[in-house]
Amino acid sequence: MSSTWMTTRAWLLMLPLLVVMVAVIGWPLVDTVGLSFTDAKLVGTAGNFVGLDNYTNMLSSPNFSRTLVTTTLFAVISVAAEMVIGVLAALLLNQDFRGRAVLRALMILPWALPTVVNATLWRLIYNPEYGALNAALTQLHLVDAYRSWLGEPGTALAALIVADCWKNFPLVALIALAALQAVPRDITAASLVDGAGPFNRFRFVILPYLAGPLMVALVLRTIEAFKVFDIIWVMTRGGPANTTRTLSILVYQEAFSFQRAGSGASLALIVTLLVTVLAVVYAALVRKTAGSAA
Amino acid sequence: MSALEIRNVRKNYGSVETLKGIDIALESGEFLVLLGSSGCGKSTLLNIIAGLAEATSGDVLIGGRSILGVHPKNRDIAMVFQSYALYPNLTVRRNIGFGLEMRGVAVAERDKAVAEAARLLQIESLLDRKPSQLSGGQRQRVAIGRALVRKPQVFLFDEPLSNLDAKLRLEMRTELKRLHQLLQTTVVYVTHDQIEAMTLASRIAVMRDGRIEQLGTPEEIYNEPATLYVAGFVGAPSMNMLKAVVADGKLVVAGSDVRIPLPARYRTSAREGAEVVVGIRPEALRAANSTATDLSLPVEIEVVELTGPELVISARIGAQRLTACLPPRAAVAKGETRSLAFDEAALRLFDPSTGMALPTA
Repeated sequence: MSSTWMTTRAWLLMLPLLVVMVAVIGWPLVDTVGLSFTDAKLVGTAGNFVGLDNYTNMLSSPNFSRTLVTTTLFAVISVAAEMVIGVLAALLLNQDFRGRAVLRALMILPWALPTVVNATLWRLIYNPEYGALNAALTQLHLVDAYRSWLGEPGTALAALIVADCWKNFPLVALIALAALQAVPRDITAASLVDGAGPFNRFRFVILPYLAGPLMVALVLRTIEAFKVFDIIWVMTRGGPANTTRTLSILVYQEAFSFQRAGSGASLALIVTLLVTVLAVVYAALVRKTAGSAA
Repeated sequence: MSALEIRNVRKNYGSVETLKGIDIALESGEFLVLLGSSGCGKSTLLNIIAGLAEATSGDVLIGGRSILGVHPKNRDIAMVFQSYALYPNLTVRRNIGFGLEMRGVAVAERDKAVAEAARLLQIESLLDRKPSQLSGGQRQRVAIGRALVRKPQVFLFDEPLSNLDAKLRLEMRTELKRLHQLLQTTVVYVTHDQIEAMTLASRIAVMRDGRIEQLGTPEEIYNEPATLYVAGFVGAPSMNMLKAVVADGKLVVAGSDVRIPLPARYRTSAREGAEVVVGIRPEALRAANSTATDLSLPVEIEVVELTGPELVISARIGAQRLTACLPPRAAVAKGETRSLAFDEAALRLFDPSTGMALPTA
């Protein structure tokens, strides 16, 4: 069988998928680029060509910079916390103890639940009138009165970050746990005989095996966190006073709430570009770390 | 005072007895090989000495001090692992010096010790490489270097050569022997390879099912195996074991009318009418002239294999099989009936019901 035929066959097999992808991703993307140079509304007129106006307006608007800061804060803090908690959980679950299998299965639950369910759950926990968090804190005498955790600008973003961590740390833990099981028993034993304490053992023996897989987790989570939408939309809709408004929420508001399709399209493309840059930088980092423990 | 003393060490995993009471005392500078097939408990015993596993009962003393419950790093031991167990992201230099680094030894002193070990092992040119850039043999040298720099009272080796190819294994074996002769440290070495055991050990402990089957010098293990198991385990090809009966002061080979004289040293232990197993090493047999003497076995040759240095023949005596190692130019052919001669001193008798060697007078 000739290699030409193999190649042709490969293309033929991929063709149906390619057609679908062009239809649902390629065309909308091209259309969005076109839209972003117009002042089109969501419904009605096709809009007029306005050049780069949408982009310059958006990039110079205080809304955009404020939202970018909020998004970055959300992404950096929740991902950092997820990485630390995930690795600690993995180290714990890698120990030999009774009930380990049950605990491992339970740990995956938050991640296995749909985001909307998770978000609804946390909205109940944070509820200002009958929420579990208020009840617990009051009974522990840590707060005097019930507070609206999601309703106050000072606490809403933090409350969202906690909910996002809860949902996503299991993914990091799962990846780390798999990596931990790849650490050869002999190397751990050698480090014991060599006199490495828990910290040095983690640094010199375990971390080299964790670095590659953790880098993958970091990339996945950062990109997801940067374009976060659903958990925030369900819990706060970007409020209060826009303190939890992230870039994706801003795109939604611009395009659908304010019906400014052209301007929304330009913003969507800016976000896409930012995420792409992140992805490229990270991909390079992953390639660099991947070989570290080989 | 013994350098290493193991007193009635037992180890249970649940209801499984892995070690059933081990007693060994090693003098300083001895090279002890724990020899046995997989699952005999040899690695468990090594791990107990290292502190990587706890004994269920019994005691382990290094330099007269009990080390039960002492952390591995404080036992004054160093260990070389089968998989080398090098730290993948550290250079050879830091791998070798890691134990010293963890103990807070000053950089200058550490560098000196690493350089000394590297010189001994001829790996000076590799010091700045990572383990992934080394061959198997080089990795093993680094692993040995890591143990050397610590200057411990006891070296522990866990099948260190079994991941190497045959040629390299031979090279490293000689290298280990040279190092031991040079440094005169106490070594406990685990292997399932009887050639390694024979060549390296000052004493061998043949282990089986959690017990020591025989503890002795390589010569004792080879020449005077205490049990059928040891006789069969050490030596390649294995010792021939012929069933026989003692009759009229002779050994009658079962399933034949071949009679060989009962050696004088067995007169008291091999009773008349008793069933015995006659052990004789393949290399103790030689092709005899056609005139059969008392001290020979008439055999029918079935297979002749030239290994290079010797001719290995498989033959039958009655219904029993026999292997002999002859000189490469021995004039024997398949299908021939020949006499294989031996010296009386080469015979070992065993009790088939207990598997124990019969006592000699």
